[in-house]
Amino acid sequence: MELVALQGLNFVYISLTLALVALGLAVVFGLLGVMNMAHGEFVMLGAYSVLVVQNAGLPLLAALPLALAVCAAVGWLLEYFVIRHLYRRPFDTLLATWGLAILMREIVEAVFGRDYKSVNQSLPGTVEVFGAVYPAYRVVLMALMVAFFAGLFLWYRRSNTGARIKAMVSNPALATAVGVNTAVLARGAFIFGVCMAGLAGVALAPLVRVEPYMGIDYLLSSFFILVVGGLGSLVGLLVGSTVIGGSDAIVSAITSKTGGYMTVLVISILFLWLRPNGIVARD
Amino acid sequence: MSKPHSLAISKLSGGYGDVTVIRDVSLTVEPGKIVFVTGRNGVGKTTLIKLIAGQLAAQSGNILFGERDMRAEPPHARRAIGIGYAPQESVVFDDLSVRENLTLQYRDRDLARYEALFASFPRLRERRAQRAGTLSGGEKKILSFCRAVAEDTQLVMLDEPTEGVQPENIERMATHVATEAGKGRGFLIVEQNLGFAERLADHAHVLDHGACIFETPGGADLRARLAERLAL
Repeated sequence: MELVALQGLNFVYISLTLALVALGLAVVFGLLGVMNMAHGEFVMLGAYSVLVVQNAGLPLLAALPLALAVCAAVGWLLEYFVIRHLYRRPFDTLLATWGLAILMREIVEAVFGRDYKSVNQSLPGTVEVFGAVYPAYRVVLMALMVAFFAGLFLWYRRSNTGARIKAMVSNPALATAVGVNTAVLARGAFIFGVCMAGLAGVALAPLVRVEPYMGIDYLLSSFFILVVGGLGSLVGLLVGSTVIGGSDAIVSAITSKTGGYMTVLVISILFLWLRPNGIVARD
Repeated sequence: MSKPHSLAISKLSGGYGDVTVIRDVSLTVEPGKIVFVTGRNGVGKTTLIKLIAGQLAAQSGNILFGERDMRAEPPHARRAIGIGYAPQESVVFDDLSVRENLTLQYRDRDLARYEALFASFPRLRERRAQRAGTLSGGEKKILSFCRAVAEDTQLVMLDEPTEGVQPENIERMATHVATEAGKGRGFLIVEQNLGFAERLADHAHVLDHGACIFETPGGADLRARLAERLAL
């Protein structure tokens, strides 16, 4: 029972985190049409924020504001100097962001070194959930993520900014005609997207090896999640994360890591083939 | 609204990319005046409006609004400065509700500013919770018309506002345009419905092959004068 509860908690934690990474990509790719190959590198920046905070002897939750600040700053630079000149030129964006991803990895490698870092596992403070002893830090993060998704869902449906984003996506010319500054809105959406990746990096840091090349896996997983879940809805995102995160975890546990990858790949190919709009198609 | 501005475009040329559609067009819309642009399909009427709205970049010439050169301003800034625009096609946000279409540019999201328009077009109020994509072509045009007329812009540009709209609603549109012009707002209207033009125009231009070939003041026999030119 304890083991099941522990596995269950880990599974929920991973799914939520993956959903957060994919949320960022869904905004940047799904709404703006920008193929950001450096998306995973923002996960990496988030994970390194945890390392920096830990080395400085600060409480781990301090990594959240640090990751947000770093990702927002880097995201702004990227959008301002590169991305905004390349909207509606997907292949150029892909090449440019791929180059930037390499640059970001190299810079982090130069500063922190090539080797794997790990964030201290024996965190102070645990709570008991359904009989399983679980780090309090992760429980707090899970609660934050659930609250965040719920809040975001309501905000996007009800707020004026949500309506403006939908307006910009469906009819950009008319959006500018009614006075929406689409350039600023798109920049905001891009920065929001990469910040989500950064937050996910913070959540992932205690579970995985932190190294400069860690981002690529998350870029791929996010694409698979969007393929399975479908673009354009938060429900699809959560369903996609559960399917991808779940099948990877289960198959990896039974066979090997490679088996997990294979399963995810096969599921994604089947979806692209049989149901290209994903489980929850955009209405 | 601050002190009224005139729109003055002179020797304006532009089009799509390197293709020039509009050549050396000049026209003026003074505060409170209703100016029509007409012409056959494909002569560049929509292109002209898009150049003024900033949806397309001008190749040469001037667009002055008051003292201010509009050519360097992006479209959303032109709207903020006082040039409203209702396009000919893709006139509403299909994915949004009617209410969101009418209020997304306002912080307060208040529908009160549409009271007078809702009184003329009650269907719009009835359908405010509905997705705008489910409206008929004419209803979308009315939604777009109301959105542009209710804005606080000194100039309103309407591109074929009556297309697909029922005659009694066209009559109501005309009443609203006349009322707003009476308050000092300028109107620049692209229209093929010559009856609508005759009812409202202070001045009319006929466009052909991207150039202004004829202009005439409004008046009782405007329809006949325009029809004669269009038949040539």
